Amino acid sequence: MIPQQLNDQLTRVGAGSAAGAVLRQYWQPACLMDELSEGKPVPVNLLGERLAMVKTPSGDWSLVTRKSRPEERPTYHPQQVEVDPDGPVYPVHEKRGIMFAFLGQGAAPEFPNFDCFRAPDSHVFAFKGLWECNWLQALEIGIDPAHASFLHRFLKDEDPKDSYGKQFRDTAADSGIPITRVLREYPRPEITVDETDYGLKITSLRHMEGDLTHVRVTNAIFPDAICIPMSREMTITQWHVPVDDHNCYWYTMFTSFDQPVNKELMREQRLAEHDLPEYRPVKNKANDYHYDPAEQEVLTYTGMGLDINVHDQWAVEMMGSIQDRTREHLGRSDVAIIRNRRLLRKAMAALESGDLESLPMQDSAAAGIIGPLSNDAIASTEDWQGASWQADMERRKDCPWDATV
Amino acid sequence: MPAKTIVVNSSRLASDWAYIANRSDLVSPRPLLPVTIDSRPYVLFMDEEGELGLIGRHCPHRGADLCYGRLENNGIRCPFHGWHFDRTGQCVETPAEPEGSKMYRAIKTPMVPLYEQNGAIYAYVGEGEPTEPFNLEHAETVQ
Repeated sequence: MIPQQLNDQLTRVGAGSAAGAVLRQYWQPACLMDELSEGKPVPVNLLGERLAMVKTPSGDWSLVTRKSRPEERPTYHPQQVEVDPDGPVYPVHEKRGIMFAFLGQGAAPEFPNFDCFRAPDSHVFAFKGLWECNWLQALEIGIDPAHASFLHRFLKDEDPKDSYGKQFRDTAADSGIPITRVLREYPRPEITVDETDYGLKITSLRHMEGDLTHVRVTNAIFPDAICIPMSREMTITQWHVPVDDHNCYWYTMFTSFDQPVNKELMREQRLAEHDLPEYRPVKNKANDYHYDPAEQEVLTYTGMGLDINVHDQWAVEMMGSIQDRTREHLGRSDVAIIRNRRLLRKAMAALESGDLESLPMQDSAAAGIIGPLSNDAIASTEDWQGASWQADMERRKDCPWDATV
Repeated sequence: MPAKTIVVNSSRLASDWAYIANRSDLVSPRPLLPVTIDSRPYVLFMDEEGELGLIGRHCPHRGADLCYGRLENNGIRCPFHGWHFDRTGQCVETPAEPEGSKMYRAIKTPMVPLYEQNGAIYAYVGEGEPTEPFNLEHAETVQ
């Protein structure tokens, strides 16, 4: 439980807010390049501001302020953009299917050399989706390795052969055991968190029978992103970017360490689940996430289908648009959430005293940060550390682009 | 919503007991109804012993919505991390916590006392300990 005042501090992102000031010091996804394909101005609603991506006479994109009406919905996309010439203009930078923007003070920091940025365009696919809730609870579900054993539990295992482009459908490492089964049968992960130069490295151990251990390494990338394994072939790097205090977009970069990404298939899978131009999920609060109690009894833990994004969306949206953390009871499984809030508080305090340099990835060393390592492995319990490292190194060694660390 | 929410505004009642539903409303494969009393959200459910519980709707862990909970093991289980509650709102299991964790003992979600008469279910909406149920004819639900 935390006091209301601290909950407000951690979650609110509008002008003058402490957490908003921290988020603004980092490059944030502003829109997909897919949205800009027609070359026309595109509304962007970001960190409480009404903006638009427009093409300048030189042919470059620029993030400008647009005129808006107070009664507009927070996610509103007007058909016509009217530029406000008196409003701020922000720097933008295209990276692998996403246009990033910098809304902070002073010079923008360097991009870290994460896998999703250094892989070639052919090996990265980007998509986004709207969640109607505060950005912090959206982030916190991504750094909570325990929930996958429950929220995403499949009461039966799918054939991993049909798993392309989906989370948790692969077999764990080379074991032939579906990840869904590992998660279901071993629900009490032993979680350790290490502070790194990019944020937090989160290691979850599931000790299995036969003296085997499942090791899952995931990451919090400060201040609002995660990097997690999706399959043996791909990782997910995902930002949770505020539209305002009560809405956020997830932006995901799917990065392949093997074959070029089948973008047409991955786009088609996701467009079928979202309504454009707001990228609003087809399954949402208004239609009960297509909740089916009969399915909940026999197939999934939630009764909301096989798409785990919908499960996450339900969990975070139905907490309330800003989770009431004055009533929460965090456990041992929430250790990464606790550590991440500590990082955020430290950064807010540093920024308030003008000490920008002490925030993660704000100095020139940021450009030298590679990785992060992110994978599933099954190993003998004695050697889980070596096996986890080895699994990532093998993937990197055979990678067609330079993924060495 | 799994079902239409029953809304009670106690200031408009002449009794400390509010009629919320009929037991027949819970004759269903999934005997569970959302109830809001004075803007506070609850979930009404029937356990495997046929007893009723009216407990806080948001899981005390991280606030997930128990109206989508799994009715099993004579209680309701949160789909987020499997925390399990009995009809009194007492947490009886936190299955993601380390083996042997006793954390659950200290976790209780709010519980509203219920009274049943002639197939009608009444919730106590007064202050402090429940009074004897009386004036039930004035205990109509305000929608």
